[in-house]
Amino acid sequence: MTTSEPIESLAYRPLPGLYDEMVDASGQPRAHWSFLASAFADLGTRELHRRQAEAARLLDQDGVVYNVYGEGSAAARRRWRLDPVPTVMSSREWESIESGVIERAELLNLILDDIYGKRTLLERRLLPPEIVYAHAGFLRACDGIRLGGRGGGLQLFNYAADIARDGDGRCVVVADRTQAPSGSGYALENRTVIQRVLPSLYRDSQVHRLAPFFRTLRLALKEVAPPFAEDPRIVVLTPGPLNETAFEHAVLASSLGYPLVEGRDLTVRGGRVWMRSVGRLEPVDVILRRVDGIYCDPLELKRDSQLGVPGLVEAARGGAVSIVNTLGSSVLENPALMAFLPRLAEYLLGAPLRLENARTWWCGEDESRRYVLERLPELVIRPISRQAPGASILGSELSEDELESLRRRIESRPRDWVGSEALSLSGAPTLTADGLEPRRSVLRAFAVARSGSYVVMPGGLTRVSPQALAGRISSQVGAIAKDTWVLSSEPEPLTGFWLQPGPAVDAVNPMSSIPSRTAENLWWLGRYAERAEALTRLLRAVQDRRNEFENSASAPGVETLRALLETLTHITSTYPGFTDPALLADPGQELLALIVDGGRAGTLAQAIRALLACAYAVRDQLSGDTWLIVGPLERAISELDGDSIELHTRAQSALQEVMRSLLVLGGLGIESMVRDIGWRFMDAGRRIERGVQLLTLLGSTVTRVRGTATDSLMLESVLTAAESIITYRFRYRSRAQLETVLELLLLDAGNPRSLAYQLDRLTEDLEVFPTEGRLSEEQRLVLAAYTDLRLADPAALVAVDASGQRPELQRFLGGLLAQLTATGDAVDRAHFVHVTPTFSLVGAAGATSEIGRAA
Amino acid sequence: MSVTYKVTHRTEYAYEDDVTLSYGQLHLLPRELGRQRCVSSEVRVDPKPEVLRERHDYFGNRVSYFEIHEPHRALTVTATSVVEVGERAAGISLLGNRRWEEVRDAVAGGGLPDHVDATDFVLRSPLIPIADRYRAYAEESFTTGRPLVDAIASLIARIHADFEYKPGSTSVSTPLADVFRKRTGVCQDFAHLGIACLRAIGLPARYVSGYLETVPAPGKPKLTGVDGSHAWLSVLIPEAGWLDVDPTNDQFAGDRYVVTAYGRDYADVPPLNGVIYTEGKTEKLKVAVDVVAVGP
Repeated sequence: MTTSEPIESLAYRPLPGLYDEMVDASGQPRAHWSFLASAFADLGTRELHRRQAEAARLLDQDGVVYNVYGEGSAAARRRWRLDPVPTVMSSREWESIESGVIERAELLNLILDDIYGKRTLLERRLLPPEIVYAHAGFLRACDGIRLGGRGGGLQLFNYAADIARDGDGRCVVVADRTQAPSGSGYALENRTVIQRVLPSLYRDSQVHRLAPFFRTLRLALKEVAPPFAEDPRIVVLTPGPLNETAFEHAVLASSLGYPLVEGRDLTVRGGRVWMRSVGRLEPVDVILRRVDGIYCDPLELKRDSQLGVPGLVEAARGGAVSIVNTLGSSVLENPALMAFLPRLAEYLLGAPLRLENARTWWCGEDESRRYVLERLPELVIRPISRQAPGASILGSELSEDELESLRRRIESRPRDWVGSEALSLSGAPTLTADGLEPRRSVLRAFAVARSGSYVVMPGGLTRVSPQALAGRISSQVGAIAKDTWVLSSEPEPLTGFWLQPGPAVDAVNPMSSIPSRTAENLWWLGRYAERAEALTRLLRAVQDRRNEFENSASAPGVETLRALLETLTHITSTYPGFTDPALLADPGQELLALIVDGGRAGTLAQAIRALLACAYAVRDQLSGDTWLIVGPLERAISELDGDSIELHTRAQSALQEVMRSLLVLGGLGIESMVRDIGWRFMDAGRRIERGVQLLTLLGSTVTRVRGTATDSLMLESVLTAAESIITYRFRYRSRAQLETVLELLLLDAGNPRSLAYQLDRLTEDLEVFPTEGRLSEEQRLVLAAYTDLRLADPAALVAVDASGQRPELQRFLGGLLAQLTATGDAVDRAHFVHVTPTFSLVGAAGATSEIGRAA
Repeated sequence: MSVTYKVTHRTEYAYEDDVTLSYGQLHLLPRELGRQRCVSSEVRVDPKPEVLRERHDYFGNRVSYFEIHEPHRALTVTATSVVEVGERAAGISLLGNRRWEEVRDAVAGGGLPDHVDATDFVLRSPLIPIADRYRAYAEESFTTGRPLVDAIASLIARIHADFEYKPGSTSVSTPLADVFRKRTGVCQDFAHLGIACLRAIGLPARYVSGYLETVPAPGKPKLTGVDGSHAWLSVLIPEAGWLDVDPTNDQFAGDRYVVTAYGRDYADVPPLNGVIYTEGKTEKLKVAVDVVAVGP
């Protein structure tokens, strides 16, 4: 077989003037690509599209998202876009990239060490002091803080390099990432998916595995712990579920096995950092930081930050906690630094860098400024502090006027600007609607400090631009990711086993180590899931009655329908709703709104949004399969807009989809989650909510007498909504009676829908919650409710007074509802962090203004 | 010739509701300088903090850190120190006879022995932008070839004349541009303005926080607690050191000025800042400062 055939059948045409990853100048596949190129030719475009759809489906199932800023709401989650065609690197080329990345990391480490230490480089003007002092990432409060531990003294812990190719195919670094480099978790996810989409190609290609890198990361984190921490407690600090890379934070936390925390989950006491766990504070020794440095401490850094921990800088300064990357590490992301790295490499390493960066000129120097201003249309222009993603300006994209205005901006503040050569980038084969086409690509490579040197992930995150001509590649503007295959020259031995020899390590006590906020989110996840399920069932029961009786001549039928509609309004507290006679007469729009109106409290859409928000906030705790239903659930609700006649039909099928997803979620909770403290909170939330929903349903349906025919229809609907109709029919067969309905729904501990069952489960759950006394307040309340329930006599409860009301039943249900509500409040008070608002305490406004002028 | 002062700076907060946690950072104790020696100093915090530590910050200032864990509705911070202050260095006015442009060019060229420091104080800082309006204002004093110290004296005299000192007219969050437009402010605003002018024309200037002994009107007794903390600025005179000038009072800072801290601007050295946890919405603040000469 000649190698030119597959390319012809793929009809692949490299971009003119660009180095192409797959084919050489003559159009022949490069040696390390030949296997895949012919394999793709064999598969054909249609099959590749099928694999692409499969990849999209898997990503959807795993709930892989990238949050996009500036689109207003939490709904701006963007599905991660992954090309089925990987980027391939030969082992030989990778070796040189790897050693180049290590060398750059070592150089940047020395610079970081100096900037926050002796500042000799500034003293000798090897690095102009301006570019350090004027950079927003230089945190003076963090001067002198050193990363200790047994890690060999490296100050730069995580490093990532964005690598592109010039026209000759030479690898060149276009950006150094040192703040809190993101992307390694996405790279891992890309691999997981591509491995499943191209199983045999992956197997036969001898690709380096990524998992060992994450084991190295784990060991590296232990290594940087303060020396006193024998078995260090490590946490991953995230800004929260709305951050652009929140998915990755959760992936990292769960694959490393460390708690995912937000700033408010941590507190500094006595100069140490503690995690607010359920029931107590637990010490924290190492923080893997994904919050930008300046946001980490409102006391000493950004005063109005809500993402940080007051006192954190002081704790780090005292050596009580190791924070990686160190606070202030983003000073190395200054693009002006690149202008001086060649010189610094000579000075600090004694040799030029093997992996160079794009040639860069800092406009603070006269000669460089002249050069940049002369060549503005050919260069990439960047401000020295990265204000917003995508802040780089391509001179070639600017009009004459824009160039002139940029020139003036640079001239007025030259020190703030940097120009770099614009690289052509390489073309990487990417699947489009028309088959394989080249797209410009950039590779992010990752390194971590370990035992005095750096370990590079054998692979990385490749991103390509979605259009053929675009020159800007960023996940914020819709770049497509690619898996990155580094071929090994020989079959790779399995190393870095998870299974380790040596003495058994004590498990981190599964009963105690989740942040209190996580417990709170799990609790609300349980409550919202149950609320959504109860509402869906009731909506379906109402819909059934509507189908039967709307516009019907049956008076009991119409009365039942109306009573159920009013019940809907009571249960959801969406007044006036169906208490308004006009809506009652024509319920269609309001019913639709109760399903789809996400902006209104009490609706199904709102409960599901709240549920999803909780799920995203605790994704490190949930089974991966949970994301099987999150996508469909999100879609079921979010796709309900458009023309309203069709919408009614679609709303009904959405209800089915919602119900299916909620049942899966419930099943996962039972079958796939360890019964740890977090699960207990989720289950307790479910039990309370199911009880509340049941009591409200009964309280607004069967506490008054209507007519025998109506009451009978009502009981049937109530039993349907309470998911007990089949049991009831099976057990009692005869016509419905309220007494036996109450027996089944309230007292029968064997019915998983009954109140007695909820209280049983709740009692079990609460026993596991941490408590100080013998019985906690919530335990007392549940015990009291249970006692009241056991003592109840259904025959007496159903007594009817002269006005057709059942006052005993009303009182009884109302009392239980109050107890359950109080239980919920007690749990909230006792176990969840109440984020007391924080304020900056400022003394000087009054102080300095009081000064009188010297007489 | 030197004077010894006892400085007492007492800050009291009254909160509307319980404060459950409090973290604070203080720049309240005098630093050692060539012309200033700290004889004794102490910070007291009430209620008793769980942690109270002192260290030196990035600029070499003394800074205290405290944590209070017990719920409280009142917080008192008292700093007491005894400081010996000498006259300012004699050589400055002599060296200051250099033309101001020479200094600017030396700074820009990185040729000064203390160029690293100089650079930090010539760039914009959190509260002090570099802007043309300040350059234009400065250039009226910094005319071609004018001796440096002479030009500085002119600048602070103009600030003193053009701007009205009005307590309460600004807060710590008032942008400098507003001060410049409204022509009113307090000492820290005038210090910021002076610095903005000097940096805009390429001269290194820093913010100084401290105290000034006030002198009662003739025939009136000196009242206690009427002094406040004060702020002024300092300009780098190459080879001589930093020259402290006070635009609020239109004078060079002499032996009645006690320095606690310096930085790029107020944000680097607030006398007291912190984070508190409370449901309450308001706090009341009372500050009393006494600067009393206790001996020559």
